[in-house]
Amino acid sequence: MTIPDVKQKWANPINTVTIGAAKEGGGTRTHTISVGGSTTLPFLHFEGEIPHRPVVAMEILDIVPEDWHPLLSKYFSDVWDNPGKWAKKCVEEFGADLICLRLAGCDPDGKNQGPEEAATAVKSVLETTGVPLIIWGCGNDDKDNEVLPKCSEVSAGERCLLGSITEDNYKTLVALCKADGHKLIAESPVDINIAKQVNILATDLGLDAEDIVIYPTSGALGYGIEYVYSIMERGRLAGLSGDKMWAMPILCDIGKEVWKAKEAIVSQNEVPQWGSQEERGPLWEATTAYVYLLAGTDILIMRHPKAVKEVKKYINKLIV
Amino acid sequence: MEKKKVRVTFQPSGKTVKVDKDTTLLEAGAQAGVYISSICGGDGICGKCRLIIKKGNIKANPTTLLSREEIRKGYVLACQTTAEGDLEVEVPAESRAEKEKILVDKDAQRFRALYPQAEEKTFFKYDPLVQKLYLELPKTTLQDNLADHLRLYREIRRKRKIPIMQSGLKVLRILPKILRESKGKVTATIGIRGKTTEVIQIEEGDTTKESYGLAVDVGTCTVVVHLVNLNNSQTIDAEATYNSQRVYGEEVTRRIIYAELKGPDKLREAIVNDINNLISTLISRNKIKLNDVMTLVCAGNTTMVHLLLGLDPSQIRREPYIPACTSPPPIRAAEVGIKINPRGLLYTLPSISGWVGGDITAGILATGVNETKSLTMLIDIGTNGEIVLGSKEWMVCCAASAGPAFEGSGVKHGMRAAAGAIEKVEILADGKVKHSTIGGVKPKGICGSGLIDVMAELFKAGFINRSAKLSPEASSRIREKNGELEFILVPASETQIGEAIVLTRADIENLIRAKAAIFAGADILVKSMDLEIKEIEQLYLAGGFGNYLNKEKALVLGLIPDISPDKVQFVGNTSIMGAKMALLSREALERSYEITKKITYYDLITNPGYMDEFISAKFIPHTDLAKFPSLAKKL
Repeated sequence: MTIPDVKQKWANPINTVTIGAAKEGGGTRTHTISVGGSTTLPFLHFEGEIPHRPVVAMEILDIVPEDWHPLLSKYFSDVWDNPGKWAKKCVEEFGADLICLRLAGCDPDGKNQGPEEAATAVKSVLETTGVPLIIWGCGNDDKDNEVLPKCSEVSAGERCLLGSITEDNYKTLVALCKADGHKLIAESPVDINIAKQVNILATDLGLDAEDIVIYPTSGALGYGIEYVYSIMERGRLAGLSGDKMWAMPILCDIGKEVWKAKEAIVSQNEVPQWGSQEERGPLWEATTAYVYLLAGTDILIMRHPKAVKEVKKYINKLIV
Repeated sequence: MEKKKVRVTFQPSGKTVKVDKDTTLLEAGAQAGVYISSICGGDGICGKCRLIIKKGNIKANPTTLLSREEIRKGYVLACQTTAEGDLEVEVPAESRAEKEKILVDKDAQRFRALYPQAEEKTFFKYDPLVQKLYLELPKTTLQDNLADHLRLYREIRRKRKIPIMQSGLKVLRILPKILRESKGKVTATIGIRGKTTEVIQIEEGDTTKESYGLAVDVGTCTVVVHLVNLNNSQTIDAEATYNSQRVYGEEVTRRIIYAELKGPDKLREAIVNDINNLISTLISRNKIKLNDVMTLVCAGNTTMVHLLLGLDPSQIRREPYIPACTSPPPIRAAEVGIKINPRGLLYTLPSISGWVGGDITAGILATGVNETKSLTMLIDIGTNGEIVLGSKEWMVCCAASAGPAFEGSGVKHGMRAAAGAIEKVEILADGKVKHSTIGGVKPKGICGSGLIDVMAELFKAGFINRSAKLSPEASSRIREKNGELEFILVPASETQIGEAIVLTRADIENLIRAKAAIFAGADILVKSMDLEIKEIEQLYLAGGFGNYLNKEKALVLGLIPDISPDKVQFVGNTSIMGAKMALLSREALERSYEITKKITYYDLITNPGYMDEFISAKFIPHTDLAKFPSLAKKL
């Protein structure tokens, strides 16, 4: 008896998105990073092509963080008053594939910095590092629309990944990406349909589907992760089956979620049975990352150096 | 101690009422017979019941629903305000829900046009539920010595095949005298009561010429009555009004809650009064005697029928949504307070479930979904968007809670299809807006068909995007007011209400939700039968939209499934049509019972896929363009 071939052939590959531009591409990065392109589900090498491995971006801010946990400040407090230095440390000491610069300083409820300060932060990161850059606004629509044009302008040609557009606010960012040659993060609230709708709205304005990375919103382990997982899994299955509006690489922003979770930030004194916090914190972040990798994530945004190291090891084991 | 009474006068009608001092003005209005718009039924959350205080002192709860300027002008919310002393108030045009004539004409013609296309449609035999028979009874003799009632039955049976007959004591008491005084020449009125037939009235001589019945659509928003000549089945006249129960809440659920708290009597009285008023208008206008109106057939959703009959509706709104009764028996109309012939009968069309009512049974009966070989869908766009799919072999149905947006509620300038309602809208290439109103008068608001038009036009003009968000840069008619974007449909100078007629961001959101709920319901129903939309062979679109509904625009919006427009027919108020068919044919009434037995109800609330489908449909026309192939080409 012959065993039937149960390998699945999918109709549609996931789009390949290349972030960063080196000299020959008109930018100043030392190399580019491509994600996506797979013709099968995550890590099923026997079934299809997985040309690009998942990557880890480390998160930095444009200001000194006010609420980062001591477990994190231990690694970064010597450099975090300077985004350039902070980024350099992440790349050179901790092996970050990309840097994600979050413009927390622009938040009108916080420091309320302007476009000039944000652009300075972008420039300093571009100067000190050679890796591709993710630039993420502060999350206030009006403010982001005011600040990001300047950031886009000073990084024109570097093919950064800009975040994020939503159903309610996408026109400015789409225009910037088209003008300055960047890529775009499309955000949706853990909803398979709204994720598509944001992509449709952006492509209706003339953006190429190949310029988009989906951010379906991500929660930490123990905080709704199974819900996000199933949305990502369904989305990826739809994309491979031919739905062009889900055929994008997926991004998960987990550092900021994990480092709010009780399991990561409560000390051993408070809950002795949970064991050493030094290990538990990064382990929580790494485990969250593992789950999302299996669901199909292509870009992870993380914080803790130890977690980053473990996740990269894990990716190496799974990519043959 | 007796409470202090105050006198409240409502302008412009001048109606005055004396009420207890702590009565709200909304309640006072109801008592005075002045109808003031209210969606929430007095909870102070809808902001529809605006009044202007002209004279007198009031006590009002604070509200955020009035602007500072409005408060300065004397505006109050009727439900949040009580009189401190005698009061004169004005009901502004936008709050007035007057007893205007609602469009009812042309329904009949539109319907007759339907039949030739549904070839296999069988016509029901003309056989009214209640009819008069002229009889000549032979003289009694020693040989022919049957009792009076048996002799009457024998004579009736010579004319009609009726196995079981009965008559009430009232008829029996007068029977011997009438038979003898008239020398056996009498008119018997017989009415169907389930398996038996009742002699409900006996009159001297031949009165068969005067025989009338009524078909009634008991809608959540509007009540429509058609007066029918039972001898020739002609509709003599029609009249409609708003359901005055809406003072107690615009939505079905609100009214159930009210009935639970305060008992169902007030609601029953309200609807019975509405029907009685319409009947008395009709009979006096057509010079008909009340006594010659022998019957009425009512179609309404399950809750409306419960409230009309005084049944307890409270379980309809609670899982697992159990009505007291889905097929009430024929009763004496006088038992619920309806004023026709005191012995006249009231029939209700049977409902299918707590949320799919006799109005839909009527719709199926009228469109013949249950008779056709072709796969047919019937969508009734109401507060509860009911959808039926099937053919003579099988039928399924569901109710999608669309909300009353397309009936004009929950939309700032929404109104029902009455004079002054904008029913057609066109946005021209230069951004100018053309509109036309029912009755050709200055506009007062927008009705359902106008809302469908304006949404489709806004989209086509690029003033809203596919997720139905207004783009302020696209038109100078889009402005921000009180922190919210709105589209100016008609500037203040051209309206009846002294302010611009607008469509706000919230209105658009409500309409998109309504259309998404209806489409998602339709889509799930099709999928549940393992069918595809393109297999639908005919689509009937029903609803109280007045005379007009642009099906192409309904399609652009993604309100209805993407099938060729020539397969789509707007069929108007099918509830009244079904009621009329039953009135005129016992067969039709019996068929309506068969329909309820044949149809399977799909509960969308417990369907796990519904929410996904709903969000997916909350996009113009839909997130998944594969569902709208004819539009995909154009986009």
